[in-house]
Amino acid sequence: MGFLGVNGAGKTTTMRILTGYLPATTGSVRVAGFDVLRQSMEVRKRIGYLPESVPLYREHRVEEMMRFQARLHGMTRADAKRRTGDVLERVDLLDRARTPVGKLSKGLRQRVGIAVALLPNPEVLILDEPTSGLDPMQRVAVRELLKSLAADHTVLLSSHILPEVEAVAPRMIIIHRGRIAAAGTRAELVEQLGSGTHVRVEAFVGPAVADAIRLFESIEGVSRVHDRGKLGIHHQFEVECETDLREDVGAMAAAKGWALRELSWHAPELEQLFSRVALELGSHDPAEPQGGQPAPGAEAPPAPAIEAGPGLLSLSVSGPDDDAPASTPPPAADAAPKRIVYNLNPFDQGADRDLGKPKSTDS
Amino acid sequence: MKGAWTIYRREVAGLFFTPLAWVLLCLALLFHGFYFSYYLSGTGGDVNLALSLSLGGGFDFWILLMILPPLLTMRMISEEAESGMLEFLLTAPVSDAGLVVGKALAATTVMTLLWSSSVVFAAVLAWQGGQPDWGQVVGGLLGAVLVSALFCSLGLVASAMSSVALLAAFLAFVFNLLAVALPVVQSQFQGSLREVAAEFVRRVNVIDHLQRSFSAGAFDSADAVFFLSWIGVFLFLAIRLVESRRWR
Repeated sequence: MGFLGVNGAGKTTTMRILTGYLPATTGSVRVAGFDVLRQSMEVRKRIGYLPESVPLYREHRVEEMMRFQARLHGMTRADAKRRTGDVLERVDLLDRARTPVGKLSKGLRQRVGIAVALLPNPEVLILDEPTSGLDPMQRVAVRELLKSLAADHTVLLSSHILPEVEAVAPRMIIIHRGRIAAAGTRAELVEQLGSGTHVRVEAFVGPAVADAIRLFESIEGVSRVHDRGKLGIHHQFEVECETDLREDVGAMAAAKGWALRELSWHAPELEQLFSRVALELGSHDPAEPQGGQPAPGAEAPPAPAIEAGPGLLSLSVSGPDDDAPASTPPPAADAAPKRIVYNLNPFDQGADRDLGKPKSTDS
Repeated sequence: MKGAWTIYRREVAGLFFTPLAWVLLCLALLFHGFYFSYYLSGTGGDVNLALSLSLGGGFDFWILLMILPPLLTMRMISEEAESGMLEFLLTAPVSDAGLVVGKALAATTVMTLLWSSSVVFAAVLAWQGGQPDWGQVVGGLLGAVLVSALFCSLGLVASAMSSVALLAAFLAFVFNLLAVALPVVQSQFQGSLREVAAEFVRRVNVIDHLQRSFSAGAFDSADAVFFLSWIGVFLFLAIRLVESRRWR
């Protein structure tokens, strides 16, 4: 089980309540069948907890730290020795057993922390951000370790990085501002957090954009149509629908004679939905116009990325001599050197413009 | 009190794994040894008087008692709370009482090691032909251990109150100073208040309770109860302060 949430969402607080370190203001918590406040010792015996700070006595050797944990849990000497060997082997630290904890790298310390939590063979393993601050290689190693632990233990881990949790935990809880925003498997989360599935259409519909929206909305199964503005001569729409309606939308475009440039099916990734929760956008963008009506100014010039044309798609030529041809109107005799500007953006100023002719001339 | 012995062992190991305990012990033993030889020569070779001074009667004893316990206990709770170790311990099967008592015992052990040097002095003097009163030495040592435990539990209260080790040491030093300097404070009161203050100080005067029985080689259960009660009070306070960290 993975706890997911941005920093300050309440992941650590939840884990501290689960371990009995913090009391819950309301409600009750049961871990392994025991109430964490009333039967705190029973719960403590059954959990292995690794706080985010990975608390270890730096002056102790790894095996001494393990021995300390074994004593805390009342393990016999023989049992402690056997488990220490098993656990250190599992986290691949057998060769570091006699190294002082303070001399280990952060990644290795993290693994020692997991080993310490794992030593009493707890029923529930609670790990707060076990991969934070690790390099990619160490992260992969810890991830693999956690996956292997999930077979024998109930593992609860928290992270603010979705792929981390997604890679390890089959079930996730997204926490936001101390509340559960969504919970379930990956597929269930996508469903709960609002589908956002849509067909993306990019077509030349001429000036009748509102008519095009109405026509798309008339297709059975379409819930809303978003006008995403103009891109060159083409118009972009997002046709919201639960099922893939590309064929219906494509047929509509063909019937109306709209030149299609894109027709694609989009289902949002979990990461996008998580970002939406994190940014408190909910399942729909509040800035979005309702009922599929185009936003004010939808007919406005194309998106800035394309509008960046003068630098990207326009070619400026400074003529070597002042008598450059094809400059209309003729320059004044005392004018500065003429600049002939060709605009190679095919979407700028309409499709029927001759790209071979200069866009404008100025001095 | 679950886990006290485990915590005690860890704390003693932790203290001796770092140079702090060694440096403190070395300096304290030098200071204590120097003063013992001074007492011996100052009393004209009176072994028992010198031993009595070195275990509760002398200047060095109280100076060491005011300085060492704060330095030994300053990191025990404050630093562990900062590093997250306290979170680990308070979610392990250890009771809060076990945690505090284990730590207090560890600090007291270091102090006991220091005061044991007086027993070594007595042994050396006996070997050289002196006649130390062993009852007095043992009584003095017992008293020194009790008063050390009291000051160590006071140090833990300060450590549980603060998040910064140095501030905890300073707080504990101030507490110790107040405890030792009570008779001086009492002498400042005038009139009827003076009587009340005198009665209060008589009841809580640590120096008096130590010197009138333990240092003199006598065992008075009232004085033992006095020390044990106050140790209990401060340990209880420290336990409650550790607990309060859960909801603070």
